[in-house]
Amino acid sequence: MLAFLVKRLLQAIFVVIAVTLIVSFAIRLTGDPALMLTQGAGSVTEADLARIREALGLNEPFLVQYWNFLKGILTLDFGRSFMGGTPVSQLLATALPATLSLAFASLIVSIVISIPLGVKAATARGKWADQAIRILSLVGLSFPNFWLATMLVLLFAIALQWLPPSGMGGFLSYILPAATMGIILTATNVRLVRTTMLETLQSQYIMVARAKGLSENVVLYKHALRNCAIPLITYFGLQFGGLLGGIVVVERVFNWPGMGTLAFDAVGARDYPVLQAVITVLSLLIIGINLLVDIAYGLVDPRVRTE
Amino acid sequence: MKTNRGIRALLAALALTSAVALPSLPAFAAGKMVVSSPQDPGSWDPIDTFLVNWASVATNIFEGLTYRGPDLKLVPGLATSWEISDDGMNIRFKLREGVTFHNGEPFNADAVKFTFDRLLGEEGAKGPQQSNYNTIDSVEVIDPTTVNFKMKEPDPVMLTKLAGYGAMIVPPKYIQEHGDEHFNTHPVGTGPFKFVSYEPKQNIKLEANADYWEGAPKLSELEYRFISEPSTAIAELQAGRVDLVIPPTIPIGMIPTIEADSNLAVVTTPGPTVYALRFNTRDGITKDPRVRKAMIMAVDRDAIIKTVLGGQAQPIASFQGPLSFGYDPAMKPLPYDPQQAQALLQEAGVAPGSTVQIDVRGNEATFIEVTQAIAAYLQTVGINATIKPYETNVLLNDIIPAGKTGAMFQQSWGGWTLDYDNTAIAMYHTGEKWNPYDSDPKMDEMLMAQRSMTDRTEREKALQAIAHYAAERALEMPLYNLNAIFGINKRVKNFTPVPDSRLKLTEVTVE
Repeated sequence: MLAFLVKRLLQAIFVVIAVTLIVSFAIRLTGDPALMLTQGAGSVTEADLARIREALGLNEPFLVQYWNFLKGILTLDFGRSFMGGTPVSQLLATALPATLSLAFASLIVSIVISIPLGVKAATARGKWADQAIRILSLVGLSFPNFWLATMLVLLFAIALQWLPPSGMGGFLSYILPAATMGIILTATNVRLVRTTMLETLQSQYIMVARAKGLSENVVLYKHALRNCAIPLITYFGLQFGGLLGGIVVVERVFNWPGMGTLAFDAVGARDYPVLQAVITVLSLLIIGINLLVDIAYGLVDPRVRTE
Repeated sequence: MKTNRGIRALLAALALTSAVALPSLPAFAAGKMVVSSPQDPGSWDPIDTFLVNWASVATNIFEGLTYRGPDLKLVPGLATSWEISDDGMNIRFKLREGVTFHNGEPFNADAVKFTFDRLLGEEGAKGPQQSNYNTIDSVEVIDPTTVNFKMKEPDPVMLTKLAGYGAMIVPPKYIQEHGDEHFNTHPVGTGPFKFVSYEPKQNIKLEANADYWEGAPKLSELEYRFISEPSTAIAELQAGRVDLVIPPTIPIGMIPTIEADSNLAVVTTPGPTVYALRFNTRDGITKDPRVRKAMIMAVDRDAIIKTVLGGQAQPIASFQGPLSFGYDPAMKPLPYDPQQAQALLQEAGVAPGSTVQIDVRGNEATFIEVTQAIAAYLQTVGINATIKPYETNVLLNDIIPAGKTGAMFQQSWGGWTLDYDNTAIAMYHTGEKWNPYDSDPKMDEMLMAQRSMTDRTEREKALQAIAHYAAERALEMPLYNLNAIFGINKRVKNFTPVPDSRLKLTEVTVE
């Protein structure tokens, strides 16, 4: 078991190093931040630029800059933003919870919608309800998220004025962005729930449960759904990681002060420290989630350990 | 039908949320205003940034020795008067008395000296503002209400520069006590509004400074929200949660959406930004001034402004708008005359079907439409233009300065000082970053000569002469001066649109 843990951990460290190296190197290909900072200036001399580069620490060789960045990760010091000098850790401290809470809310929305719909589709297999749900989920899958977001804003924020069109602040502000993300996820999740449920419903213990005369709801939700839970939870867990990456567009449309907005602005401003930190933290999260899943499997299933 | 319970519960939950949502409709306290700004500068320290949207907020917090309002006239600010020595090497300011910073610190000559020592010293060296004030040698305190600026060389634009950005007067004690980093996120100045709170990437909140020397502002609270996506900013305006959307946010294509809403209005004013397609005067067919003139004459700019830009622009004859110092109202652009254009091309020996490449910023949809129209006009005189969009920062920082553009390239320019000196030197002086192709000793001499002129009328004439000379050589295809576009809720009263993003909201009220 220990050997397995060490192996997985080393793999994770290797991935972290590879990701950070690629990110740090690639962002430096985008151009000179000193030029960005002085874009509005009337007349800029090479000496002015050199002075700013030095203040930003860009005169050091790449490997030195990269090494400082790696050292910073260990102490959670990601340096300062080139735009205004705010410590990056401070920016992350507001952006990361904003993104995580939105991703979590989206997942909840999706689970709350997709489980009853998926179960209904499975029990009504081949009937009109099943067809309707399958067609609806296909439609949902085909929505581009920015379009869906705009439509929801038009209806609920502008026409009805029930919900705020953008920004983060309180429960109400979560509804539209979480619904946008949630509805799109639901499209796939409904199908997943339906298939898993169909398999389970064919098991003998379901037949037994029905034979005992249990009510249909008890059979479906107590016996069948519980047995579907393991593949579903695994899938939802992995989806959470994917959500973190896919949230950029939705964050932008809803002006959500999360990691996506931070990364988007940082790309435009050539703000190396911010972009490096955002991508590193997101990849650490995803690597972490995968590592936990791997370890959990290893604990549950001895075959994985000896692979 | 029991499985429907989940769906029913969901519907019930939705109904419940809407019931909760209704009573919490945004309600504004009297005298509160919310402004949507497209960018968070990240720091409110005047020496840290060059973003115009810094000034949209900070003009309400900080003040300079001089002030320039929406009419662009330079008037006394924290200085009540000034005298410039004949050689332009000394400027002596008399300071306003009885002014205090928001933290209670007095404003005096020491604060002015501290501000400029900081800007021109080590702290300023880390930021982008220092390069703008390098002509100042030092600031001397004569007495508590008098300072003298010693110059390294005469700078005719200095008084204007003192009205904005890096020259905002900052409180010495506050910065020494709390440090630079604290000041970045907790700004203190002498202006009409006091800082309350700042959430990076979200908002900054201000409140009225009751002790403001010019009288307290009419609004009691002022909030700026940072919203970069135009459709989101407009949705907030339509929902009534934002009172004002400031430029550069609203694209021309979205003006009808705002106008269609009876609670909203679009307010515009000629902005500082001018657009041109500049020529590669070193290589290819555009090396020949006759070809450049022909291309200018082939394009009907008035038609483009009317159709593509919805009339939200004015044609220009040189690379500056009417607000710019150095603008000559008598100067007329080359007329739209395709026949003459064809004749010139023939004279220059340009074969029909010759190709040119136009480099543009890929994210500016409106300008790309303009360029497509220009390409269509060029086609009519036998020039095939291809449009090459670049990522904006790549075009600005890597392609243009390195002289790697096509025969023509987009240049949008909007220096906030609105002085043609700034523009003309950057565009036409040999070796400047924005001038990768042209080198003209006569032009260089004209540009440098006006710098040492202290007489305003004489300098204005010199700048106009530069504009005429640049047009005579056809160094660019001047296009238009774009309006600054504001979206506003009609409950906002007394709002004057500003051309330079330096928004000071002392007179505004919200009903």
